[in-house]
Amino acid sequence: MQQLVDKVKEIIKNKEVDVVIGWGRGSLPFSATPIFVETEKDAEKLIFDETCRNNLTTYLTKDKRRISKEYKKIGIVVKGCDSRSVVLYTVENQIKRENVVLIGIPCNGVFEKKKLSQLVDGKEILDFQIDRENIILKGRNFEQTHPLKEVLCDSCLTCQYPDAPEHDYFIGTPRKEVNVPDAYKTINEFGKKSSEERWAYIQEEYSKCIRCYACRNVCPSCYCPECFVDQNDPQWIGKTPEVTDSIIFHLIRNLHIAGRCVDCGACVSACPVDLDLRIMSKKVEKEIKERFDYTAGIDIHEKPAMASYCEHEKQDFIMG
Amino acid sequence: MIKIKKTDLHNFIEFLIKDYNVYAPADVGKKIAFKKINSAFEIRHDITNTHLSPKNVFFPQSEVMFQYSDDGLKIPERNEKPIAVWGMRNCDTSSLIMLNKVFGDAHQMPDKNMYKDPYWKMKYDNCLIFGQACNEPLSTCFCNWFDGNPFAKKGADVFVVDTCDHFIFEGVSEKGKAFLLKYKFAEEATKTDLDKIAELKKTAESYLPEKLDVKPLYNKMSQIWDEPIWDEISAKCINCGACTFVCPTCHCFDVSDEGKGKKGKRIRLWDSCMFQIFTREASGHNPRELSTQRVRQRLMHKYNYFMDNYEQYLCTGCGRCVQVCPVNLDIREVIKQILDYKISRNEDN
Ligand code: SF4
Ligand code: SF4
Ligand code: SF4
Ligand code: SF4
Ligand code: SF4
Repeated sequence: MQQLVDKVKEIIKNKEVDVVIGWGRGSLPFSATPIFVETEKDAEKLIFDETCRNNLTTYLTKDKRRISKEYKKIGIVVKGCDSRSVVLYTVENQIKRENVVLIGIPCNGVFEKKKLSQLVDGKEILDFQIDRENIILKGRNFEQTHPLKEVLCDSCLTCQYPDAPEHDYFIGTPRKEVNVPDAYKTINEFGKKSSEERWAYIQEEYSKCIRCYACRNVCPSCYCPECFVDQNDPQWIGKTPEVTDSIIFHLIRNLHIAGRCVDCGACVSACPVDLDLRIMSKKVEKEIKERFDYTAGIDIHEKPAMASYCEHEKQDFIMG
Repeated sequence: MIKIKKTDLHNFIEFLIKDYNVYAPADVGKKIAFKKINSAFEIRHDITNTHLSPKNVFFPQSEVMFQYSDDGLKIPERNEKPIAVWGMRNCDTSSLIMLNKVFGDAHQMPDKNMYKDPYWKMKYDNCLIFGQACNEPLSTCFCNWFDGNPFAKKGADVFVVDTCDHFIFEGVSEKGKAFLLKYKFAEEATKTDLDKIAELKKTAESYLPEKLDVKPLYNKMSQIWDEPIWDEISAKCINCGACTFVCPTCHCFDVSDEGKGKKGKRIRLWDSCMFQIFTREASGHNPRELSTQRVRQRLMHKYNYFMDNYEQYLCTGCGRCVQVCPVNLDIREVIKQILDYKISRNEDN
């Protein structure tokens, strides 16, 4: 990724930005870590590969953090989904587009930790190697090879915008071919099940939630200065990890990210109990697409689905 | 020391279940955590430490403190069998000692008249802990920085070593020894078994990271409260509660009232110093408004304040926070960063 390093050095040198948020090598084999690059020397630490899971744009809006407090012009390395978050922030008036410099990067997908640990049945993976279409996972007493596709995030497998549609600079060669036959396959198949089966699955999944809010806090679209779950005077929703309370949290959160989720998968990766969060968020995305013909984070001039009104929108959910 | 064949474990667990509610590492969703088991076949032996810590067994994430209605107040009592936990690693058995200092054991508290938590005590006081040796420490394990060891027995009543075809049991506390005496179907462990244990211990220790002297951490932390290092450390933290919720030693809780009309209950729930509302006061003022302040609190509590109160650090090096942090904020690196930090402040002013 020498090109990335060079580009960042250049924009730091030209004082185009005060800081560049990117990824550096993490301490675990499958985790890159966010880094804040202020000097040309630090730019050497930048990497980009399949371990760069986080959607770094989340640092742009989170209230009361050093990053949004101290820097005026922020550069940020973005994958496809991350660049869509910047579009979202712009149309939602959270940032001024001209204050952010986007360094787009073609993305071949990022690893999903939970898929990895399932492949090795919970054993510890100490190292890995990518060999063309395959990944070799290495542990203390094992080595196994799997198709790379099996360990990528579900979001990546259905991603239609891997080349950071919104960018100021682009590093490398765009991945021209994006072939996603059916982005909603999982959702549609799930939808075919009986309502009892679906309810049973949702209950089982969401009963695992430990209410740590990692999903919310990594999510670029969750930037409310005060989240509804934090309202405690009076308390708006139950705070126990019982499924009845957790499900309310997730249902409301999904309504709040309706037409705003960019399917970056950051929430899924962050969840310490591997909850299937996408089963709800992707369904909501599909509804928004079908009803309002809107996809979040694509058109920087289009009003967000939930902030506009159009006469011929389907209203069957109101009128029955 | 006695031993049983691995294939006979279910008999032993059955014997244990007669007198105890038994918790052990088992599948919980896609993860492995301590859960109440009904048979030995549910136990996962093939892992080192569980994804979630066992604190939930004694300090549940949500727990009813009392209920009220027209009939008056009802405080929960424990009418069940006492708790036994199977398969706890040293980093977890040590964490129970720490939590017991906070919740239970007034003798260890600076002031002997301090509050003792009845909810903790009714579960912890008569429990039976089976510590288990870690034959294969993970790459995230660093118990050796905090006086721990994959084969240490501290905090266990009975210590168990898995020698591939046998489990070797050693009574550690009086309670543990007495329990083992009751079980009549075990063989005596032999010299060969002891040699095997010594060998396993050596291998396990070889997997641990280089030992780090964390003693200076306390003093260092006392001096850096208002140093810019906290900005550096906290910059990438997104203030979720993942690290504190999986931690076996974090023990902050919130109290929430749920009621309607004349009926209701008071619950206590895990809370996290990482959350913005953790310290928000009724006036709306929040003394820890910034992410930096909250990250500092978490680390100061672990490596400074707890030492002031209980003469030890509040971390066992289990590595769970390292595994779950979504931004790879690795507490091992933070510790090193603090130890290496050169204080910028001029001591004279
Ligand atoms: S809900 Fe999840 S997938 Fe959607 S934007 Fe937020 S973090 Fe990304
Ligand atoms: S990250 Fe997972 S466990 Fe935490 S609140 Fe979200 S869904 Fe629940
Ligand atoms: S702080 Fe981290 S390493 Fe220490 S006890 Fe808690 S989870 Fe384990
Ligand atoms: S930290 Fe030490 S005691 Fe805990 S699981 Fe790892 S090796 Fe075992
Ligand atoms: S898990 Fe990581 S990001 Fe979340 S609060 Fe802890 S240190 Fe911060």
